[in-house]
Amino acid sequence: MNFLATSIESLGAKVVGWFTVGYGMFAFLVQASLLLLEPATWNRATFDVVVKQVYFTAVQILHVFLGYALVISWLIISIILSTARDFGLTEFASEMTIRVLVLELLPFLTALFVALRSGSAINTEVALMQVNNELDALAHCKVPPMQFEFLPRLVGGVVSVVTLAGLAGLLALLMGYLAIYGMNAAGFEPYTQTIAKIFDFKIVAGLVVKCALFGLAVTLIPVTAGLETPKKLFMVPVSVLRGMMRVFFAIVAIEVVSLALKYI
Amino acid sequence: MAAVAALPDEVARVALDLPLRANLSALDNIALIPIYQRHFRVGESNQQAQQLLDHLGHADIAPLRDPDMTPAQRFVTKLARALILKRPRLVIDRPGAMLYDVPYPTFIRQLAARAEMTGTWEIFDFSWNQALYKE
Repeated sequence: MNFLATSIESLGAKVVGWFTVGYGMFAFLVQASLLLLEPATWNRATFDVVVKQVYFTAVQILHVFLGYALVISWLIISIILSTARDFGLTEFASEMTIRVLVLELLPFLTALFVALRSGSAINTEVALMQVNNELDALAHCKVPPMQFEFLPRLVGGVVSVVTLAGLAGLLALLMGYLAIYGMNAAGFEPYTQTIAKIFDFKIVAGLVVKCALFGLAVTLIPVTAGLETPKKLFMVPVSVLRGMMRVFFAIVAIEVVSLALKYI
Repeated sequence: MAAVAALPDEVARVALDLPLRANLSALDNIALIPIYQRHFRVGESNQQAQQLLDHLGHADIAPLRDPDMTPAQRFVTKLARALILKRPRLVIDRPGAMLYDVPYPTFIRQLAARAEMTGTWEIFDFSWNQALYKE
C-alpha cells in the first residue's frame, strides 16, 4: 500500500514538473512574442545580436553543413534509386526522393545539427550567465536580458534553421536531378512537374512552419533550461543535459505530428 | 551586506556580485547602457564609453573581455559602467573583494579624482579595513 502511494506521489510530482516546465516555456514564448512586436525592441544592439546569432548558427558552419547535406542526400538518393529499380518503380523515384529528403529527413537533420552545435552552446551560456549573476547585473543596469540576450537567439535560431533546411533542400533537389537524369536537360520538364505537383501551397507552408518550430525548439528550450539552473556551478552540466533531452523530444514530437498531419 | 543589495534604483553599484558580461569587451559592457537607457546609436555609445575609459586613465582596456582583465582593470570597467548609468549615488560594495591586486583605498581615490560625477561615492567595507583608509 505504501509502495503504491509512493509511486503515485512520484508520478504526480513528475507530471506537475512537466506541466511547470511546459508552462514556463509557454509564458516565456508569449513574453518574447509580445516584445517582438514592440518597435522599441528593435534597436541597433538587439539587431546586431540577431545578426551575430545568424552568423554563428548558420553562416559559420555553412560549408560543413552543405558538405554533410551533400553526402547524406547522395546516399539516400542512391538507396532510393537502386530500390526503385529493383522493384520496377523507377517512375516514382524522383517523387519519393523529394518527399523523403526535402520534406522530412533534411529539415529533421538540420534541426539536430543546429541543436547539437548551437542549442547546447546557448544552454551552457545562459546557465553560466544565471550562475554568475550576469543577468542580475544586466537588470541592475536596466539592460533588459530578454531583449538583449534571449529574443535575438530565438529569432536567429528560427532564421538559421529555416534557411539551412531550405538550402539543404535545394541541394538535394539538384542532386536528385543529377542522380536520376545525369547531366542532361531532357529530364528538366518531368522533374520540375514532379516538384510542382508535390510543392503545393499547403505543403510549402507546412514545411516552413515545421522548420520554424524546429528553430524555436532548438533555441527556446535551451534558453529556458539555462534560466532554470540553480546558482551552483556544478548544476550547469545537469542543466545542459536536461535541456538537450527536452530539445530531442521536442524535435521528434514536431516531426511525428508533422508526419501524422501529412499522411494519416 | 544584504542591505547593500537591497539599495534603491537610484544607486549605481560596483560589486563582486554584479559581474561584467563575460563574452563582451569592456567597451561593449559600458556602451550597452546608453543604447538601452538613452537610445543612443552604437557609434555614439561606443564613443561615450571610450571617453569614459580615457578619462579614468584606462583607455587600453577597451577591447579586453572579463577573463583577460586583471582585477584592477575589471574594477575600472565596472566603475565606468556604474558611472555611465548617471545615477545620483554610487556605492562601491566591499572593494577589497574586487581589488586584491592593488592598494585599493589609494587606487579608488585616484579614480575618484579623475572621474567626473555630480553625485556621491560611498564605500561599504568591513569595519576591520577602516585602518586602510587612514593614510
